[in-house]
Amino acid sequence: MKFHLHVGVIETSDEATLTEVLAITKLEARVLLKLAPNVVIMEREDAQEALEELQRRGLHPKVSR
Amino acid sequence: MKLAGQSQGYRNGELDLLSVLEVVIAQKPRVLKGGLPNLSFFKAANEALLEPDDASEGVGFWQVEFWLALARGAGLLRNADGKLEPTAAADEFFALGFEERCKRLRDAWLDCSELNELAFVPEIELPGLKRARTVDAVSDVPQPSRVAAMRRAVVKLLVELKGETSLAAFVALCEKSARDVLVNHSDDASWRHVFYRGIRELGGSEDLERAGNWSKVEGGFIRALCELPLLRLGYIAYDAKARTLEPLEEPSPAFTAEVVVQPNHEVVMLGEWPDPAVVWRLARFSEPTPARRVRKYLLDKKRFAEALGRGHGAEELIELLSKLSRTPLPQNVKYSLSDWGEHTESIRIWPDALLIEAEGVEDLETALARPLLEKLAPAKIGAHRVCAAPDPAALRALMPPRRPLFDYSRALPRVMRPARGLTLDAPRETLHFRARQVLALLTRQEGADRFTLDAAQVAQAARALGAKEMRARLEGALAEELSPQLSLALRSWSGEFGSVFVGQAELLVCDETEQAMALALQPEFNTWVEKQLSTTAFLLRAGAGEKVRAFLKQLGANTVRGSLKKGPSA
Repeated sequence: MKFHLHVGVIETSDEATLTEVLAITKLEARVLLKLAPNVVIMEREDAQEALEELQRRGLHPKVSR
Repeated sequence: MKLAGQSQGYRNGELDLLSVLEVVIAQKPRVLKGGLPNLSFFKAANEALLEPDDASEGVGFWQVEFWLALARGAGLLRNADGKLEPTAAADEFFALGFEERCKRLRDAWLDCSELNELAFVPEIELPGLKRARTVDAVSDVPQPSRVAAMRRAVVKLLVELKGETSLAAFVALCEKSARDVLVNHSDDASWRHVFYRGIRELGGSEDLERAGNWSKVEGGFIRALCELPLLRLGYIAYDAKARTLEPLEEPSPAFTAEVVVQPNHEVVMLGEWPDPAVVWRLARFSEPTPARRVRKYLLDKKRFAEALGRGHGAEELIELLSKLSRTPLPQNVKYSLSDWGEHTESIRIWPDALLIEAEGVEDLETALARPLLEKLAPAKIGAHRVCAAPDPAALRALMPPRRPLFDYSRALPRVMRPARGLTLDAPRETLHFRARQVLALLTRQEGADRFTLDAAQVAQAARALGAKEMRARLEGALAEELSPQLSLALRSWSGEFGSVFVGQAELLVCDETEQAMALALQPEFNTWVEKQLSTTAFLLRAGAGEKVRAFLKQLGANTVRGSLKKGPSA
């Protein structure tokens, strides 16, 4: 097992939603790793940027801090 | 001993605390340099109190400052990224019983170092009290430890009160028993004990003399305690007009309030005595509009999503609201909440996380230590686990030994090495996500730990990231410099290097620099030149050789073939 501290994680209900999230936030190129079809790992700054962009668009994801 | 009436007791104080916390939720105020929020927050919070302060009376918004200090002291609020926000401890606090909450706040007040009640006595001013409530060493303005000791001494003396007592009599009792607690008056015959240094009468230009002013300074402090902390924390009943006090006994109150949920998503709390535990839960998933006796809460998608992020379920919150409401929830409200819940649950973000990655068929449920699972409570993502990033030191204490920990807030180890040809060695057990991103972008896997640079992937990555950024990422993951071969391939495939001419060509090389310069200035000559290679050498266009020779012959210049040494003319 490996421990990755201070990364950003986005999990969606399905692959299509994740594709949509990455398209909306224009962060596809910054994905570090696709852990599963519906899970991506990012730098935490990029995950924060994704969150803010989604909130600007009136989408309010579940945020775990 | 008096029983709590309509306007006395801790239950009133707690409603004021709730109002201040609700303004914090609604405004998420920025914390300024002095450690306090801005003036607009103070005004809004003051307006929400049962009996607001009049700022023109000279002590500012004392009640708001008092409740803020207590809330911070009790751990109910925290400064997160420069903004004030409620903590998880606040949720735990309001889940406690009435007596326990009262006791916790009293303890927080007794130990509170942020407050100095002497600063709230309107008749005196404290030039010795610096900004942020620090105390000048050569003044008699009491240090936080003395303030705390005086609070405890006063509370201790309350038990000696027999029924209703005048404030003057209580101050006299305190002077007799606790004369030196707030300010030390033991006379060492020095000048220091003539004045209250740094303590003046309001508008005065000189420090107050100690003789005859104990009741003004320490007495003012005791009066300030009676008017707010002792009154609002339910120690005493206090009549501000008559200036009398009496110990108070306050049994657990019966809360009487009703909740009305309106179709416009507004929730109105009706009744004088709402249960703070219920009010708090409501305030945590809605937008509160604190306003003294009438409390309103707007159900809002963002607040609802935030509550789900703290671990509540949408169904749980809908059920809570249904239970509180005296009538069935309006259908549209119910649908909205369910809809919001569904939308929110469809995207989950950990903006700053710890990811525990399982490798191979590893089962983290059994591989991870129980204390780690209990303390961090990581959520499952497939075979992996994720939770909000803990403190690194705490994590190290919980982690199994000899497991790699990559901290992405720092530079990560360079774990790849250039190997033969276009291959890279990247041992699997050392790979972090940044290195794996580079490998996924630019290479194809050839073996367990071996990867080969791929032309199509490099070209695609260069288009998406830019050639320089792409190269920087690869170089950032390499423990050694790129080999010349790798570098050439990478920069060619990414478009950094242009095409290379390989083939036959005619050259014109001058022996003299001046001769070459003179030729370069001839417009006719330039039409036959493909590229100037150096100060004396020119690459000629295909078929231009004969024309150049003829041109040079006209100018009297000899041309040679095959050797640069002067020889017979062609």
